[in-house]
Amino acid sequence: MREEVAEAALDLIQVEYEILPAFFDPMQAMKPDAFSIHPGGNIAGGKPIVLERGSVEEGFAQAERTFEGTYTTQVHCAAGMEPRVALAQWDGDFLTVWKSSRGIHMLDRPALARGLGIPAQQVRVICPAMGGGFGSKDETRMGTLTALLARKCGKPVRMEYTRQEEFVAGRTRHPSITHLKVGIGRNGEITAIHARTIMSKGAYMSSGSAVIRRCGQGALYLYQTPNAKFEGTLVYTNVPPAGSYRALGAPQGQFALEVHMDKIAEALGLNPLEFRRRHHVKPEGQPGRRLTPPGELVSDQPVEGGIPFSSNRLSECVRLGSRAMGWQRRWRPPNSSPGPKKRGLGMALGLYRGGLAQKAGAEVEARLDGSVEIRVGTIDVGEGAFTTLLQIGAEALEIEPARVTILGGDTATTPEAPVTSGSSTTFSMGTAVQQAAATLKERILDRVCAQLGADRENVKWNKGAIQMNRPTKKTVAWKQALALLSPEERRVRLAIQPGSTEFVINSFAAHFAEVEVDTETGKVAVVKYVAAHDSGRIVNPAAAQNQVEGGVMQMLGYALTEELLVDPKTGIPLNGNFLEHKVPVIVDLPPLKTIFVNAPDPAGPFGAKALGEPPSIPVAPAISNAIYNAIGIRFQDLPITPGKILDQLPLKGRG
Amino acid sequence: MHPFRYAEPESVAEACRFLKRQGTSAMPIAGGTDLLSEIKDGVAKPESVLNLKRLPSLAHIREQDGALRIGGMTTLSQLQVYPVLRRNFRIIEEALSTLATPQIRAVGTVAGNLCQRPRCLYYRHPLFLCAKKGGTTCFALDGDSRYHAILQNDLCPMVHPSDLAPAFIALEAQVLLAGPEEKRLLPLEEFFLLPGQNLSRETVLKPGEILVEVRVPKPKAGTRGTYLKFRERGAGDFALVSAACSGRVLRGTVAELRLVLGGVAPIPFRARQAEEMLMGQRPKKEFFAAAAQAVLAAATPLSGNRYKIEAARTLMVRAMQAVLK
Amino acid sequence: MKIKKRWKVFFLINGKRRSLTIEPHWTLLEVLRDQLGLTGTKKGCDRAECGSCTVLLEREPVYSCQVLAVQARGQRITTIEGLTRNGKLHPVQQSFIDHDGVQCGFCTPGFVLTASAFLDRTRRPTPDQVKQALSGNICRCNAYVKIIESVLSASKRGKRIRD
Ligand SMILES: Cc1cc2nc3c(=O)[nH]c(=O)nc-3n(C[C@H](O)[C@H](O)[C@H](O)COP(=O)(O)OP(=O)(O)OC[C@H]3O[C@@H](n4cnc5c(N)ncnc54)[C@H](O)[C@@H]3O)c2cc1C
Ligand code: SF4
Repeated sequence: MREEVAEAALDLIQVEYEILPAFFDPMQAMKPDAFSIHPGGNIAGGKPIVLERGSVEEGFAQAERTFEGTYTTQVHCAAGMEPRVALAQWDGDFLTVWKSSRGIHMLDRPALARGLGIPAQQVRVICPAMGGGFGSKDETRMGTLTALLARKCGKPVRMEYTRQEEFVAGRTRHPSITHLKVGIGRNGEITAIHARTIMSKGAYMSSGSAVIRRCGQGALYLYQTPNAKFEGTLVYTNVPPAGSYRALGAPQGQFALEVHMDKIAEALGLNPLEFRRRHHVKPEGQPGRRLTPPGELVSDQPVEGGIPFSSNRLSECVRLGSRAMGWQRRWRPPNSSPGPKKRGLGMALGLYRGGLAQKAGAEVEARLDGSVEIRVGTIDVGEGAFTTLLQIGAEALEIEPARVTILGGDTATTPEAPVTSGSSTTFSMGTAVQQAAATLKERILDRVCAQLGADRENVKWNKGAIQMNRPTKKTVAWKQALALLSPEERRVRLAIQPGSTEFVINSFAAHFAEVEVDTETGKVAVVKYVAAHDSGRIVNPAAAQNQVEGGVMQMLGYALTEELLVDPKTGIPLNGNFLEHKVPVIVDLPPLKTIFVNAPDPAGPFGAKALGEPPSIPVAPAISNAIYNAIGIRFQDLPITPGKILDQLPLKGRG
Repeated sequence: MHPFRYAEPESVAEACRFLKRQGTSAMPIAGGTDLLSEIKDGVAKPESVLNLKRLPSLAHIREQDGALRIGGMTTLSQLQVYPVLRRNFRIIEEALSTLATPQIRAVGTVAGNLCQRPRCLYYRHPLFLCAKKGGTTCFALDGDSRYHAILQNDLCPMVHPSDLAPAFIALEAQVLLAGPEEKRLLPLEEFFLLPGQNLSRETVLKPGEILVEVRVPKPKAGTRGTYLKFRERGAGDFALVSAACSGRVLRGTVAELRLVLGGVAPIPFRARQAEEMLMGQRPKKEFFAAAAQAVLAAATPLSGNRYKIEAARTLMVRAMQAVLK
Repeated sequence: MKIKKRWKVFFLINGKRRSLTIEPHWTLLEVLRDQLGLTGTKKGCDRAECGSCTVLLEREPVYSCQVLAVQARGQRITTIEGLTRNGKLHPVQQSFIDHDGVQCGFCTPGFVLTASAFLDRTRRPTPDQVKQALSGNICRCNAYVKIIESVLSASKRGKRIRD
């Protein structure tokens, strides 16, 4: 059946609506007497999440000065190039669903089984490839709908969002309002940080609690302080539903934090670089006492202090990044240049989780023809995870990557794997693949030694071939070696529990931006950008650079031009399209330099840490701070459009 | 997309007769880059579309009687690479280089660009039946007005989206319209209508009439021109404000000046007040600023677009500085 | 004058003549994907705003989602499937692979076609010319740095395009 027939049929459906009160502003929806969108009130979960280390009350009592500020961010759409899509087909009681996904094993399969009332063993989910996920294609809704329709009509059913639907009914980045209060003691130390964030959720829950949790981590952990508190409130409203999108709530929370810290640095008469150098969290972690019992896995988003990081090269990021920007030499006090085009430098730091995840499984099989297949239950959301995992497998086996293939994204042929989230794929899946491949290598070595009567010390592994030196010189070729193993032995399947009982595993970044603001039009041009990252050892340099460059560019849109506009009266999104939700185009690309500290992390596979999301975190505050440095006006509300800038500038023609 | 019939005429006369006969149920299609969006979004619902693009008589560019004659079906990219453009028609070249994207310029036509419909977010949205579409309210007036007009904006504050129109008007271009009975030639400036004159259409085109040619007189020796476009994104973005300026300085004073703004009014806005103030004056920055101020004194910004006043001021002054020297 | 609900037409697609019957409201994109199975051409927005559907029409990049198929009848069309010759990748394709000019890959066919047409006309492009030429293609992964590298490098390999 053609799409337009389905469209025409849809037009025949008559819907009757009962008009209820609607809220587009979370502050209105939160009022105690407000109409409830869902039973139980408009605050999701009934109350805010509250996390505290030490006591901010005591911290503020010790403070000599306190600084407060409010920061807001917009509705922002991930808008992957491929709109989400699902196709369902029944074969008797057995269901196969092809869909855009974030987790076929642990998300879609159980959700489909639950939704349709069938055992999970009867559900197969396939996500072969995807045109850009950015974490936002995280629900099973379309899979369930197509499965129900397919069951009803006895034919396969496919459903695809239009571009407008993708913008409006896909999941957006939560808009937020953050209030920050920071206490500074007699010696300039930070005595307390208190952040309160309100996020507008739309009318449906979708990874909201993870989003608000991640929003608070910057305030809790990026700066050294014994007392830190985060209160996060998720509010049901009637704007397009928000969900997860690259780094979840971290960009919102750390935008507020990093603009605020810039203001404090200035008030204390310190260069923003110097202030951050002194106060950002160091490798030993936060002060305080470990509360997690010994031997238990440590959170990678801890509240408590007293736990060191597995590695923390934030100081290196700051040093290398500021040098590449020429910060020391070129930084001037705010609003120094005569204009009308004024330049300024800005910076921001970022930290992000990425060590703990659900159980991760991997299978590695060597075939008699010499090829190796890695099977993983994760998907490649478009970031190149499969390439990286393939490389890790080849490296653990010490064979040519060309001999290795990878199969993923199919529940029927791959072992269980976690959801692609929290930038943890390289870390968790990488560890599983590495261990499976290493196990296979050991097996092969053992078998060959037994066959030859050789000692393990006397054989060498050379790209899969095994060389024996004593008692005689002899080489067993890769295929020959494989032939010694049974089919079962040639296949290794294992699962690991990623995480550490000793350390907090986090990634770090320091970003530096130079902007030029045209004070007569309000136009901001980014003239130079430096992103310095500590993501442990870099496994695949080209892909890693691509992640950083892409993350920065995507979030330049967040900082300057992108916003889903919602009509203030009706709540209808007005610009669900690429033309008006102004995503960056190639001519907007500034000169962009990526720096990796590239120091191995003791806990990660081959020393690697998370990388996918961290680049998106410090961009907006670095830009806002650079604009401040250029023109001496603070922008605490995203995106920073020419309109907003002109509205703030002292204008020539105005009365 | 909803189905329609498709007609291909052999001649302009046949096209006009067909359109006249069918009334509003038929629409001409050129490149389709604008019309197809309107149909897909349910804003236009033609029963038939009439293809003008295959009419060879409408796809020319030539110089004749001291003017550049551009057939309506000339694509924007054909115009862009026309050799004399850079030398004599700088404004057009600059306007084209900022207009839409290479793919759109390859298909979109000059007539289609001048006849394209508004980009007002409410107008393009299927859920808003606004005044322009036959409803009773303008949603922009007390809604999101960041992209709307600051001048002549009482009824329907949409802005005319074309980049070519201000550029052509600054060069005193004329348009040739063909109807079922007759042809008429008029200044492009008079081609556009304010909402007060016609709320549902933006041009003087009568039923059955199509735009067949644009004629741009060759500027006098010593004339300079520029097109400045202010937008949020580096490509594929309509102007927040734009300024087309053509002028000539003779023996130290302004001998000729035309200044036309885009993005500020429902039609390309001719800044006549500024032109008149500067004629015969020495070209000095203070005068430019005063002239811009005089034009903008009439501005009545809405809640979301006050910034356009300052942006328009800047563009006018910069355009005059670039041209009058 | 011809007014018809169904049109018997042909296109010269990737060097082959393809005849079929189409309805006038079908876009070139729909005909390529749904009628001819050329699914390398992607539907990203269906509004001439993103470039994923770019094909070459008479060697010029156009958005196939916003061109009526019937208007393009009889013309030469190159899709991404037509760039590979005898199993050998076009230099621009190879360059995108070598320089990682790809993340999720959905916009890639459009970028590759736009770039190949551009390099056919421009011998030694500057980075700025590359940017202008590709300004009508959006990559939401924002792999722009590597895309520019890919195109600049391909410009040094020599060029070839078939239709
Ligand atoms: C993403 C995007 C970005 C854009 N950015 C810009 C920009 O920055 N600046 C800019 O100026 N434009 C911009 N445009 C608009 C674009 O330039 C127009 O769509 C194009 O010029 C229209 O030409 P066309 O031949 O495709 O017209 P069509 O879409 O075929 O027609 C447009 C309208 O004109 C009517 N029409 C066509 N020909 C005639 C005729 N001869 N006589 C009478 N009526 C006629 C049609 O019925 C229709 O209503 C943009 C468009 C898009 C999609
Ligand atoms: S400005 Fe005009 S087109 Fe836009 S909503 Fe108002 S009446 Fe409609």
